[in-house]
Amino acid sequence: MTSSVEPISLSQRQASNDTGIDREALARLLVEIARNVDPDNHALYEGVPAADHRLERLRQLLVGGEISELARVTHLLDEPEQLAAAVGNVLPEATARASHAQLGEALAPAVERAAQRSIQKNPNTLTDILYPVFLPAIRKSIGEKIDQTFQSLNESLRHIFTWHGLKWRFEAWRTGTSFSAVVLKHSLVYRVEHVFLISRASGLLIAHVTSQDATSEDPQLISSMLSAIQDFVKDSFKEKENSGLDTIRFGELRLWSEVGQFATLVAVIRGNPPEELHEVIRDVLLRIHQESSRALERFDGDSSQLPGVETQLQTCVELQHMDSKEGFPWLVVTAVLLVLIVAGGWFFLSWQSAHRWQTYLSRLAAQPGIVVSDQKIRGGDFYVAGLRDPLAADPRSLLPGTDVDPARVHSNWQFYQSFEPQFVLKRLSASLAPPDSVRLSVVDGRIVAEGEATTTWINRARAAAQQLSAGGPVFDISRVRDVSAEDRWQAYVSRLQTQPGIIVADQNVRDGQFYITGLRDPLAADPQSLLAETQVDPARVHASWQFYQSLEPQFVLKRLTASLTPPDSVRLSVANDRIVAAGEATTAWINRARAAAQQLSAGGPVFDISGVRDVSPEERWQAYVSRLETQPGIIVAQQNVRDGQFYITGLRDPLAVDPQSLLSGTQVDPARVHASWQFYQSLEPAFVLKRLTASLYPMDKVRLSIVDGRIVAEGEAPDTWIDRARAAARQLSEGGPEFDISKVRDVSPDARAAEHWQYYVSRLEAQPGIIVAQQSARGGQFYISGLRDPLAADPQALLSGTQVDPARVHSQWQFYQSLDPKFVVKRLTASLSPPKSVRLSIVQGRIVVVGEAPAGWISRAQAAADQLSADGVVLDVSQLSELNLAELNHLREAIQTTDIFFDSGRVVPGPEQTPALDRLADQLKEFAENARKAGVTARFMLTGHSDTTGRETANASISAARAETVRALLNKRGVAPELLLVRGAGTFEPAVPENENSRTGNSTNRRVSVTVNLE
Amino acid sequence: MLQKKICMLGGFAVGKTSLVRRFVQSIFSENYLTTVGVKIDKKSVAFPDKTVDLILWDLAGEDDIGSFRVSYVRGATGLVLVVDGTRPATLAVALTLRERCEAEFGAMPFILLFNKSDLTDRWAIPEGEIDELKQRGWQIYLTSALSGEHVDDAFRQLASMVAK
Repeated sequence: MTSSVEPISLSQRQASNDTGIDREALARLLVEIARNVDPDNHALYEGVPAADHRLERLRQLLVGGEISELARVTHLLDEPEQLAAAVGNVLPEATARASHAQLGEALAPAVERAAQRSIQKNPNTLTDILYPVFLPAIRKSIGEKIDQTFQSLNESLRHIFTWHGLKWRFEAWRTGTSFSAVVLKHSLVYRVEHVFLISRASGLLIAHVTSQDATSEDPQLISSMLSAIQDFVKDSFKEKENSGLDTIRFGELRLWSEVGQFATLVAVIRGNPPEELHEVIRDVLLRIHQESSRALERFDGDSSQLPGVETQLQTCVELQHMDSKEGFPWLVVTAVLLVLIVAGGWFFLSWQSAHRWQTYLSRLAAQPGIVVSDQKIRGGDFYVAGLRDPLAADPRSLLPGTDVDPARVHSNWQFYQSFEPQFVLKRLSASLAPPDSVRLSVVDGRIVAEGEATTTWINRARAAAQQLSAGGPVFDISRVRDVSAEDRWQAYVSRLQTQPGIIVADQNVRDGQFYITGLRDPLAADPQSLLAETQVDPARVHASWQFYQSLEPQFVLKRLTASLTPPDSVRLSVANDRIVAAGEATTAWINRARAAAQQLSAGGPVFDISGVRDVSPEERWQAYVSRLETQPGIIVAQQNVRDGQFYITGLRDPLAVDPQSLLSGTQVDPARVHASWQFYQSLEPAFVLKRLTASLYPMDKVRLSIVDGRIVAEGEAPDTWIDRARAAARQLSEGGPEFDISKVRDVSPDARAAEHWQYYVSRLEAQPGIIVAQQSARGGQFYISGLRDPLAADPQALLSGTQVDPARVHSQWQFYQSLDPKFVVKRLTASLSPPKSVRLSIVQGRIVVVGEAPAGWISRAQAAADQLSADGVVLDVSQLSELNLAELNHLREAIQTTDIFFDSGRVVPGPEQTPALDRLADQLKEFAENARKAGVTARFMLTGHSDTTGRETANASISAARAETVRALLNKRGVAPELLLVRGAGTFEPAVPENENSRTGNSTNRRVSVTVNLE
Repeated sequence: MLQKKICMLGGFAVGKTSLVRRFVQSIFSENYLTTVGVKIDKKSVAFPDKTVDLILWDLAGEDDIGSFRVSYVRGATGLVLVVDGTRPATLAVALTLRERCEAEFGAMPFILLFNKSDLTDRWAIPEGEIDELKQRGWQIYLTSALSGEHVDDAFRQLASMVAK
């Protein structure tokens, strides 16, 4: 049976592949088998039955399992749901086993479509999936792009003003590329020297390529170290991101690394690479990953597994850019320079001429009365057109100094009347011809006329003002006083009427002519001369004056003075409307005066001559003689009067009064006096005394005097003088008065010194606060000892004036405190320093303190009194009263819160401030008085303030002026000016803060404030 | 060119750096150990059919296991554990370090070097303990940086282990 196994299995296999069973063949096969088993059967089954149920059974037996299995599979394949479930079971495994390349090819279109569909359906899904992948890449890409931009910008800036820069700008212009591109092209000189491909897992070197002449240490070690450093950085700074170091820079060398999935590519670059190089390197790394992804992943240190990598890396190493050295384009540069110089010169000249023209134009524009309406420069010529006032400056005269060639200036000026105030003023001055008494001026753009003028002129001026009101400046004639001739005439007349000695009888005005008649005293003022001061035209005045004699006392006096010619000794004056003559006069003059008085008595003032004493020359002479006779040292021998001449003879002592000098003042005519005097020595004591004084030179200490007709010398003198005086006395004894020198004490120097010493000692003893204990004089030296109060007079100082030689004085003083009330007072004054309101005085040996003082001082004084009482000195403080400062402080508060306010720009306060000023003045006076009582001086600082409107300097002066005004106003109200101090604070101490730009200013800041200072 | 990353681990002052100094190519200063925490050397081991370049990451020795930068070990194919034969504690350190590496990156071939074998008088590791470790199938060498004893052998052994 074993041998039949194989054929069966073979037929079985064939059968399973057939859908329709070839039953005939099967039958034949079975017959065949039967014959082989039993050759006897051969003949038996020659034919094959077409249908045999046994065959069917056999088939069931042989392939029944397969048939059912087939049916199941067929069913599975036919039913899509079942098939999907079956394929789904095996798909992951099948995909994993499929060839990568083929599967990728097959899946690509489907995946692409699926992705497309997904994006169409909801783009967010795919975005969310790819987000973690894209974000780092995008971030990196943007970062590089920004770096690239900065690099481009940096390089452009760095080269913008260099010679290279100019060259490259030219190149950019020539080639039509951007300047920054050219800059980058030239400045980014670099060379990739090494490229390392390093396994990310182990840090082992996969491949290393180096440029031709570059050298480096062992690349294996370098690559490992590089990855170690990457790890180090990542670990040290806890960097989670799946990337490595981008850039390491060391001097000229840069290491740029690009991190791939399995390998890192590190390029070592010398120089300044463009940022685009990152992309190049990244492309190379990507390509390597695409081509050898599996090999990279499985890299175990055997670099032979990755043969093609080096050629890829080689493309990186070949990257370089070297600056090409071109010859310097001297010709081009020279040509460009020449063009530049010519163009620059032309530009400068035209600029300069235009600048000068502009200077001239601005000068014109600044001129009042000139309006430039149009100006231009054409072909080097200047054209200007406009308006000018005939009174304005000639535009042509403004040209010198501007360097503009007058020949090239073409002007076209239309005359017009400028309304600028100064031009209007000029025209008004010309047209109105204002009288001298009127002054025209421009004030704040207005024309102001001031002074006096006649009505007619004022009317004309008013008409001119109305004309001007149409567009012109304001012409203010309100300040011109209307003084027409009539007014002036009336003023003149009333002046005449007040003149003494002038009586206006009649006056009138007719046809502009003035007529006046009246009386005038010749001695009165001249009406004509009064006319000259009144501006009344003298030609139009017709005066008719009658002279008359005024009986007014002063005119009468004048006339009397002229007619009577009173002598010097008579004085005429007007007293109570009476004319009084006083003095001495001769009888003849008195008679004439009496006649005049009688004349005057009819209607004139009384002329009183009773005060004139009748003195005739003879009488005066006698008076003179008798006066001479009473003179000591003058002896009148004889005198007489003959023919109006006076004769006198006699004796006179040279020391006696000069008779001639006595003559003056007697009104005796010296020319009529004939005197003959003989000199003699008078023995009258007075004359003797004079002579002795002259001859003896008596010393200071000797006094000569006349006592009962005797000449007495008193005092001290040395012996020599006494001897001489004694000789003189002997001479005088013959007929002269007695000269008594017995009272002159002889003083020798020693005796004098001792005397002086005694005088000094007695002086010391009389000094309060000095007690002399002992004193003596031995051998020309003086010794003194004692006590002295420090406040007492200095004994040494007392020496002066005593004629005691200080060198011979030996003093020994002990200090002590004198309890003499005077000293106690001094000490108290020094130690307690009493306020001025307190007075210390000594009353019957007691010290009394009187006045007002603060409580603190009183208690100190009380303590001093207690102390002194132990020494037996009475200090009476019972009359002290306590000073009340509270009221003073209250008053000070009130003063300091007072402000005087001003209107804007005014330095005088308005009338509404008067109550405040009155109150302030009262408060200041009261405060000053109270302060004075308290022993202090109060001073008040008046500080002026202004608002911020206007210039600062003006504000400063206005503020000071305000303070000054208030000072004057307070002074007027009785505040002593020395108590008022003044300062201007300008805008610096505002009461309320103020915005500097405000137009109105703050009225609260326009004020004067007061601060009280106590000294 | 076949290269393998090898990490050298050991406690503080076990002599890793001195041990290899005479046997390796080095371009980096020892300052890297204190600054970056790693210093990289290369030891080329030539076999008849190939040459294996061992890239040795000499990690800064720390007795404080916590400060060990395990990230440096990523991608390593073998370890060199170095123990100071005069300080038994350093054995524990070395073994702990190895455990940390294996926990992180899986098992990898290693050699265990007991260094300072020249200091016999201060030797503190019992013979028995070393034998016990050897019985685990570990490759153990007694080395001396002073004499260079067994160092080359050790690297050769490691190279053959990692280059299989």
